[in-house]
Order: sequence, then C-alpha cells, then structure tokens
Amino acid sequence: MHLAHLRLRNFRNYTRLDADWSPGFHVLAGANAQGKTNLLEAIYLLATLRSFRGIGGAQMIQQGQAGYFVGARIVGVEQHDARIYWSVSRRELTLDRHPVRRIADYLGVLRAVVFCSEDSQLVKGSGRIRRRFLDLILTQTRPDYLAWLQRYHAALRARNAILKGREIDPDALAGFSAELVRAGQPLMEARASLTPRLAEVARSAYERMAGGGGESLAATYEPNVRGDLAVALAQSRARDQAYRQTMAGPHRDELQLALDGRPAAQYGSEGQKRTVALALKAAQAEYLTLHHGAPPVLLIDDVMGELDRQRRGGFIPLLEQVRQARGQVFMTCTEENWPRDLGTDLVRWTVTAGSLNPS
Amino acid sequence: MDRYRISTWPPPLLDLINELGMLPGIGPRSAERLALFLAQSPAADVERLAESIRTARRGIQSCATCGALSDRQPCSLCQDPRRDLGILCVVEQPVDVLNIEKTAAFRGRYHVLGGRISPTRGVGPEDLRIPELERRLQDQPNLELIVALGSDVEGDATAIYLARRLAGRCARITRLAHGLPVGSSLEFADELTLRQAIENRRPLQ
Ligand SMILES: Nc1ncnc2c1ncn2[C@@H]1O[C@H](COP(=O)(O)OP(=O)(O)O)[C@@H](O)[C@H]1O
Ligand SMILES: [Mg+2]
Ligand SMILES: [Zn+2]
Repeated sequence: MHLAHLRLRNFRNYTRLDADWSPGFHVLAGANAQGKTNLLEAIYLLATLRSFRGIGGAQMIQQGQAGYFVGARIVGVEQHDARIYWSVSRRELTLDRHPVRRIADYLGVLRAVVFCSEDSQLVKGSGRIRRRFLDLILTQTRPDYLAWLQRYHAALRARNAILKGREIDPDALAGFSAELVRAGQPLMEARASLTPRLAEVARSAYERMAGGGGESLAATYEPNVRGDLAVALAQSRARDQAYRQTMAGPHRDELQLALDGRPAAQYGSEGQKRTVALALKAAQAEYLTLHHGAPPVLLIDDVMGELDRQRRGGFIPLLEQVRQARGQVFMTCTEENWPRDLGTDLVRWTVTAGSLNPS
Repeated sequence: MDRYRISTWPPPLLDLINELGMLPGIGPRSAERLALFLAQSPAADVERLAESIRTARRGIQSCATCGALSDRQPCSLCQDPRRDLGILCVVEQPVDVLNIEKTAAFRGRYHVLGGRISPTRGVGPEDLRIPELERRLQDQPNLELIVALGSDVEGDATAIYLARRLAGRCARITRLAHGLPVGSSLEFADELTLRQAIENRRPLQ
C-alpha cells in the first residue's frame, strides 16, 4: 500500500501542495519549522482522521483561512481517492467521490504508523493513551471494533449521566448497563486476544534495539474487570452511585509495560522509556504487516536522528520488510542527522516554508 | 460578496428566506431558491399553498390514544375494526407508524412514545408517553407488545427499560429481529429489511 498523490490546500503552512510519490523510502529534509512534521500530519490524518499531535481539527486550518483540504490517491490492492474538507461549519469526507457515512467504512483505506516525540507518552502518560494505542490497532485490524467502541462510549456517557442525576431510575440504569455490557464484552475479548501477540513482537523489537544482554520488555493486558462484566457492574453499583460514575469496565483497562518485571514508567531510565515506546510502535507496524500481508505506511518524525546506532539498527528489519513489499516510508530529518547508514536508494526532498522540492 | 447581495434584498424576502431556512433539510441556499421562486409565482398559487399549510396545521393533531398524527380523534388506525386488537407496536415517532404501515407486515395497532430515553440530552422515562401505554395495558391485559425502536444504544436501552417496567402486565413482549444494522434507526431501514425484522421478532429478555 502506498500514497501515490497528495494534495493540500490551506493545511497549516501549506497553501498549495500537489505531490506525486513512488513506493519506497522518502526523506524529507529541511531546517526547523518549515513544514516537515505538518506533511506527516496530513498523511496520518488521511489514515486515521485525526492528528497525532493530539489536537482538534481547527488548528490544522491555515491561519486566516476558512478550512483545509487534504486529498490523496492511495494505491493498494485497489486504488482509492480520498478527500477531507474541514472547516468550523462544514466537514466532508469522501471516498471515491461518495460521502462516507460510517467512519468504519473508511478506515483501512490507508494504514499508517507514526513514530514521533509524543510516543514517549505511551510509557509516561496515563492509561488512556495506552488504551487508545490498543484501540487504534484493533480498529486497523477488525472491521467491527470501532462500532463496538463507539457504542460502548455512548452507553458509558448515558450511564454516567444517569448516575449524576438527582434520582436514579433503576430500570433506566439497568437498560444502559445492559448496553454497556453488550458493547464492552467484545472490546475486552479483542484486547485480550491482541495483547499477547503484540507483546511478543514488541519484546523482540525491544531486544533488537536495546542489544543482546539488555532488559526484556513484557507488555500485558490488565483488564479492569476479570470475567463477567455484567456481574462486575452489579457489584460496583454502590461504588458507582457514591462516585456518580461508572467505576468498572474496559474504559479503565491497562496495558502494563515492564522491563525485567518492573514497571517501565517508574523504574526505566529516559533512554529505556524511549526505546519501549519505539518498540511498541515497531510492534504495531509489524503486527499490521502480519495481519494484512502488506506493511502500513511508516511516518517517522525526527526520532531516527536522536537514536544511537544500536537503536537505529533495530529499525532496519522493519524498513527492510517495507522495502521488499514495495511499501512506503516518510522520514523527516535536519541536515545534521541525515540517515547515511540507512542505505542509498532514498528519495530525497527538501521542505522549505511550506513547499516541497526534490533535492 | 454574499453579504452585499443579501443586504440589498427587500426585507419581506429576507423574512421568507429565514422562515424557510428553519425547515428540516433546507439549507441557506435552498431557502433562497424557494423564496425567490415563491416571490415570483402567481399570487393565486401562493395563496393556495399558504392556505393548505394553514389547513394542515389546524387539522392535524396527535391521536390521544396512540400518539400518531391524525385529522380525527381517535385516529383512523385506532378506529379500524379490521386491525388486530391483541397486538400493539411501540415506536418512537409518528413517522415510524408510516414506515411500518408501508411494509404491510403488521396488522395490529400502534403506540407512539414520542422519543426514547436519552440521559445525555436530559430525556428521561417521565418525558415519554409511557403512562398512556400503561393505561392501555390496564384496559386490555392480554396484549402482545412489539417494541420497534432504533437499534442504537438509546433505542435498545429504552426497549430493555420497557421490558422491565411492563413485565407481567402483558402477554408477551418482543422486539424487532436484528436484520436492522446495529446503530441504525427505523427511518433509514428499507421496507424489506423492516418487514423481515417484524416477522422474525424475538422475545425481549
Ligand atoms: N495553522 C497554521 N497556519 C499556518 N502556519 C502554521 C499553522 N500551524 C503551524 N504552522 C507553521 O508551520 C511551521 C511548523 O511546521 P512543522 O511541520 O511543525 O515544522 P518542522 O519542519 O520543524 O517539522 C511553523 O512555521 C508554523 O508557524
Ligand atoms: Mg518537526
Ligand atoms: Zn390512534
């Protein structure tokens, strides 16, 4: 799968961009604040309909403009034309020129994995960030996962609204509890079946990056509820009422990360935490490759430049897989950290103040 | 440029554009087009349209029994002797009655709730026509209820709510089979899907 054409209008510092891309390894070089990350952000937006910078859509609109446009031609088993227009008052998403009615019908047209500085939050941040990581992979691999996830959150919001009310109608609470269980159970099953497989890939990626004799990474699923969600909800009833919100369920699940049995967030060094985050992202990419038989588009923002040779070397098998499958990599760097050791068949681009030129 | 054009229009035309723009499915541009069309139509045609809007509004009310829209009290469906009196279909909105009638798969009568439980929007059971439903069940204890609500979270939770609240007060409570895709409302279901959902209805809880 690769991005064959990208068209931007009024997207961040790109007033107009029309670019054709081959499969392979593209290096986007340039000084700071020229628009390298913005370009990766646009590609990631096409894949996931959100920014990896964890912000709302309005910030991506070029200053002084009403809305942005991001369009692409994507070539995989089939060819697709994807277009996003976003303004404060109007949002449009079309696939092959038809409006997309359900997001789940769109996701999967372009699969991408991003490596960026925000990744360290996977280790240091709250459980919500790790749940979102699992949810994204499950959305990228199971067609009905997103529908259940959205349904679960709708049921959760409704149930919490009942718990916050002055009087709780027990039958209404029971109605939304049943819905919470119905949507929550498939989420728990999906996360439980994904995690061991993902953890195995992450463990070997970490080993490659940290070198032999290093620590061993273990990622484990810690469900908030073990067993029957309906039973747990019933047991949690008094607590829910006291806290006026739903205290049990997969919205409180954890993905635990440990190095040699000790929690990585507390005991890992800064360098180890960074490696854990990289290994998780590499595992996401490898897992998607295994699952779909084709690698996702890799978006690598700066991180390579900060790595030592050993850690960088840990990436090479993944990049090699992409190369062999005629996948695609977009990698940003500044002149100082140009990745000389990653081979010679790189397509090199220069990004200057919102314009892109071959170099 | 838009602003210039709008400000030069006579105020009565602007009023009309605003009024039409409040209608469902009519955006600003359609409102403009309709207003311009009406303003240039023969006066008699426009009078007739105005009159039929007025007549419709005056003549249509909700049936005190079932809640459907009607020009008489009770409505013709509630009065029709050929309908099966032993079975009641519970729907959200008056428009659902029309959709189910189109399938010709249902021969009983209806009960319109007027919405569904939506805690995030502040709609509770007390805002729905549930006491009216309970009264009908009291008058006629051996009814079968078909709960025909949308299959999203709120529709399904409302169905479960009704099953609990009305348990033991009717002969049987069923719900539509899930031929209906998860998360969709009756309005968007085609006739065939809806007919199958009614024919294959299954017990609720
Ligand atoms: N909404 C926006 N409108 C216009 N320019 C923007 C917008 N958002 C960011 N920029 C500009 O984009 C540049 C940063 O781009 P970025 O891709 O993060 O740089 P880098 O090349 O260092 O990765 C800055 O010059 C910033 O002012
Ligand atoms: Mg950057
Ligand atoms: Zn009636």
